[in-house]
Amino acid sequence: MKNEVMYGILFLFSVFISSVSQILLKKSAGKAYESKIREYLNPPVMIAYFIFFVSTLLTMFAYRYVPLSLGPVLEATGYLWVSLLGWFFLKERISRKKWIGLGIIIIGILFFNL
Amino acid sequence: MQKTRTYVYLHILLLFYSLGAICSKFAGEAEFLSFPFFMYYGLLLTIMVIYAVFWQQILKVIPLTTAYASKAVTVIWGLVWGMLIFHETLTLQKAIGAGIIMFGIVMVVKADEE
Repeated sequence: MKNEVMYGILFLFSVFISSVSQILLKKSAGKAYESKIREYLNPPVMIAYFIFFVSTLLTMFAYRYVPLSLGPVLEATGYLWVSLLGWFFLKERISRKKWIGLGIIIIGILFFNL
Repeated sequence: MQKTRTYVYLHILLLFYSLGAICSKFAGEAEFLSFPFFMYYGLLLTIMVIYAVFWQQILKVIPLTTAYASKAVTVIWGLVWGMLIFHETLTLQKAIGAGIIMFGIVMVVKADEE
């Protein structure tokens, strides 16, 4: 049981850094680049893909003890991270409806794990 | 009719995506750096690349928000594959939790539409 909790936290961390990677890519997508090559081979994009790669590894390790049914449930926290990171770093608005939806996701995840 | 076909493709693609999670779990349960470990991880990465390519194509014909809302179905696939392949149990609590999460996801995605 303890393993499931510890590795569950690892899984959540993996989802978090995957969200960071998405925000990095989004921030990078807004910029103009000299060439198509530069669009992909610049530091922020390369770092973003590296982080994503690390995330797939961490998720895989976490699945050692996390049940498969729990995986997508924990991945749903990604919506929360992306919204918060987008708000903080990209100045994206979070509407009231969105806050409510995010709250419902969290409630669902907690309910699932009771 | 054409639209129905597109949504069927979308869900086949999401089903395909859920197979990635299965590979991730098999890889995680395998002995570190063993042949099955590399095989399943390689399979996972292959699935993710193929998924990314087809996801981009689908986005050309389906609204982004609709596609992301549909992604909520991966929660169901996690429960199904967890049961069928990893003999995890499905409880009413999990089913309700999953339903709440999916409702929350659709709400979050729809909030972005406005």
